[in-house]
Amino acid sequence: MTDPSHIRNFSIIAHIDHGKSTLSDRILEMTGTIAERDMQAQLLDTMDIERERGITIKSQAVRVSYQADDGEEYQFNLIDTPGHVDFTYEVSRSLAACEGAVLVVDATQGVEAQTVANAMMAMNANLEIIPLINKIDLPSADPERVRAEIEDALAIPADDAVLASGKTGVGVHDLLEAVVYNIPAPTGDANAPLRALIFDSYFDPYRGVVALVRIVDGSMRKGQRLRLMASGKDILAEEVGARHPVEEPLPELGVGEVGYLVTGLKDLVHVKVGDTITLAEGGVDNPLPGYREAKPMVYTGLFPIESDQYEPLKEALEKLSLNDPALLWEPEKSHALGFGFRVGFLGLLHMEVVKERLEREFNLDLLATAPSVEYHVFKQGGEMMSLHSPQEMPDPGEIEHIEEPYLKAKILIPPDYVGAVMDLTVARRGTFVTMNYLSQNTVEMLWEIPLSELIMDYFDKLKSNTKGYASLDYDFAGYKPSQLVKLDILLSGKPIDALSFIVHKDKAYDRGRVLTEKLKEIIPRQMFEVPIQAAIGGRVLARETVKAKRKDVLAKCYGGDISRKRKLLEKQKQGKKRMKAIGNVEVPQEAFMAILKVDD
Amino acid sequence: MPHDPYRALYLHVPFCVKRCSYCDFTTSAVATDDPRIDAYVEDLCLAIRRKSKEGELSAIETVYLGGGTPSHIGMSRLSMLLYALSTSMRLEPDVECSMEANPESLTPNMVRDIWALGVNRLSIGVQSFDDKVLETIGRAHDAQAACRAIEAAHERFINVSCDLMCGIPGQSAESFERSVSRAIELGVSHVSVYPLTIEPHTPFDRMVLSGELPEPDDDVEAEQMQIAQSLLAAAGFERYEVASYAKPGYECRHNIAYWTGVPYLGIGTSAATMTQNSERRMRMTDGSVTDDLNAEQMVAEDLMLGMRMTRGVSGEKIAEARLVLPRLDETIDKLVEEGLAAWSEDRLRPTERGWLLGNELYGALFDLA
Repeated sequence: MTDPSHIRNFSIIAHIDHGKSTLSDRILEMTGTIAERDMQAQLLDTMDIERERGITIKSQAVRVSYQADDGEEYQFNLIDTPGHVDFTYEVSRSLAACEGAVLVVDATQGVEAQTVANAMMAMNANLEIIPLINKIDLPSADPERVRAEIEDALAIPADDAVLASGKTGVGVHDLLEAVVYNIPAPTGDANAPLRALIFDSYFDPYRGVVALVRIVDGSMRKGQRLRLMASGKDILAEEVGARHPVEEPLPELGVGEVGYLVTGLKDLVHVKVGDTITLAEGGVDNPLPGYREAKPMVYTGLFPIESDQYEPLKEALEKLSLNDPALLWEPEKSHALGFGFRVGFLGLLHMEVVKERLEREFNLDLLATAPSVEYHVFKQGGEMMSLHSPQEMPDPGEIEHIEEPYLKAKILIPPDYVGAVMDLTVARRGTFVTMNYLSQNTVEMLWEIPLSELIMDYFDKLKSNTKGYASLDYDFAGYKPSQLVKLDILLSGKPIDALSFIVHKDKAYDRGRVLTEKLKEIIPRQMFEVPIQAAIGGRVLARETVKAKRKDVLAKCYGGDISRKRKLLEKQKQGKKRMKAIGNVEVPQEAFMAILKVDD
Repeated sequence: MPHDPYRALYLHVPFCVKRCSYCDFTTSAVATDDPRIDAYVEDLCLAIRRKSKEGELSAIETVYLGGGTPSHIGMSRLSMLLYALSTSMRLEPDVECSMEANPESLTPNMVRDIWALGVNRLSIGVQSFDDKVLETIGRAHDAQAACRAIEAAHERFINVSCDLMCGIPGQSAESFERSVSRAIELGVSHVSVYPLTIEPHTPFDRMVLSGELPEPDDDVEAEQMQIAQSLLAAAGFERYEVASYAKPGYECRHNIAYWTGVPYLGIGTSAATMTQNSERRMRMTDGSVTDDLNAEQMVAEDLMLGMRMTRGVSGEKIAEARLVLPRLDETIDKLVEEGLAAWSEDRLRPTERGWLLGNELYGALFDLA
């Protein structure tokens, strides 16, 4: 147990790709926590997908010993947080476990949307912020401009900003000293009953659920009976300890310290990020503030291509949920696609990551339908139903009105692109709120935009319309009434439930027309003509036709041609496996995502 | 493995005067006087004699000398080859012995000599009687040479076949129609009609990729295959296979062997051999196995190949197949429902639609095993 005056708990926060994980790597290396030969890039990112995509999805905590220039030894707890906007809540809980934050800003990119958002969150959590200008080794680095931006845009004094390079290690020593001197030691009552914050948790196949915790008051000992206050569950502290990042069991975690707790629970559902742990007997009644349930924002149908993969898919989702309480799912039946699941995600990145893990780690061939949001449908008579899938939409006659989720979006761009962002966002039904010049080079635009529009390829469009300069951050704003209709897509005259989607009335015609054209390109010619129609209720808005295939034969088939023919038929067979037979129409997977690629 | 006797023999001659733009066969453009051809023919003769000694040629009923261009290697080498053949197996008139020839190298003397040495069927690579089309596909002859070659062949041969291609960029329906009519007028007894396909690594493939050449249009090819069907039917030809038309009695027995599960021996570069017994079927080319099928796959393949031919597959054969392919009836019902196959006179036969959509038809049967 370390005296709290020699403990420093801090996070590193940054916009995505500003070099946070590399900087963490360097800190571990320079404090001797990890020998250089054991070093692996992005050490704290443990999932393959995290390393490949260069992003952090789960939070991490590492304890580091630092021999400071004053001759004293300090315990640093470094908490690495997710950098993506989908995981904002996890970031906020990680910050709540700290007294300070290192705000990393790329010396070539300057302040971006999540820099602002994360800095705001750190300030709201009353953290001491140490600005750090990273990547100063790059030729295009402009630390003075970035220093001015930090002061102008964030109102954080940046005279003493640390100039560093995670890549070369320059400035990392300065950073470590700044942590000792600028970040306050934890305060907390060592003699009070235990209060500990869960800021992350994961499932270990051998030991069950492990929670990452910050001791706020009191202490946590191995063998104690503990209570998870939000879920009301009592557990036994099977093991407590610190991560370096290799786990070191300890008899006890003292006040102000950060470490892990092996709960022995088999189900992550009870160990919720943001929950407070106290003693089962003689514990406190007042939990730490700020707990909230993680709530999915985006829903999609996941269906196995081969129907015999339904059970394996279910098992895979169960396994992933063990480690990802934000992942919600329930069975869904589609006339077109058979049995599958409606799955809720925090955002599009979360969805992509989960789908990729299901396909890669569980070897499943999946078909995902276009993502949708949660609509609130108010029926005649006042009853409200939450709609996660267009298929559940009641008859128009039963509907009084529909509300859809809106976001407050914050977009940071150079002033030259204000027009481009206006055009794009207005076309996506965005409502302009206000605009501020954060500095000469950075404009902050605030919008209200329906979430359903944002998930339609908005971010990619925003990036391409601003030559990659725009950065985006958003927050849930609430539900608002909207003129929404369900657009059906019919193949050969039959509505295909998995292709239907909900759209604003004014956009239905354009979307329907473009989508039918797109589907005509995607759906290969079949043995018969396939009419594609877009319709609302019984009214057809657009129609295209995939002409019937008249010939596909390769005529020659003599001695050696037969082996070649067999190869070709084998390939044809494999190709069909990547398609879904709907009635007698073979539909390729990308058809179900085509709606996302519809340009305005 | 112990195997059923070979009943068909294929000999490959991998030389041509030039390579055509669409061709991906194993052949190379080599001058007639190149010593590599001599070396190859000697090896071929040795291989024929060796197979004969091993007893593999004792049941051969059809021989096919293909290429490349067998007529390109000249009469003295052809004499060597046919002489070696005639001393290695029973080469009598009831054995069908076909040879491929191209108009530029088939001479009246060659016609007389190969006839005397036992060849009794000539297949001439005409492709088109339109000079512009011939130029497009890079043939070494013109329409006039093609007519002369067929006339010369008729000096000895009654069984003369003419290959024609359709779906060639720039080839109009009228041009194709004229070529089919010309073949009929010239009195051939057999016509093969192939739609052009763009094979990888050919000049045409590169031209399609670079946009110089439009990709062959399936609809146009379907149209032209139907033109061939109606013209040839009116002239007394029967379409006995998807691409093959013959006057009664002039069907190519060697090719039918490929489609009826008859074991065949291939000699020469890239020549395929099919060996089988009741449990296993293998195909080999240049010493490596390309197919190794179990009993189920064999049965499925026989059905698939059988459906290339007008006569299709007998009810009896299907009853046998049903024993090893439990899903067969379901598949057949679906094919009939989709109009790809139909029952008549207790045989399951391909329809016109089934021929054109052959990959659907064969694919469904292939998928059974």
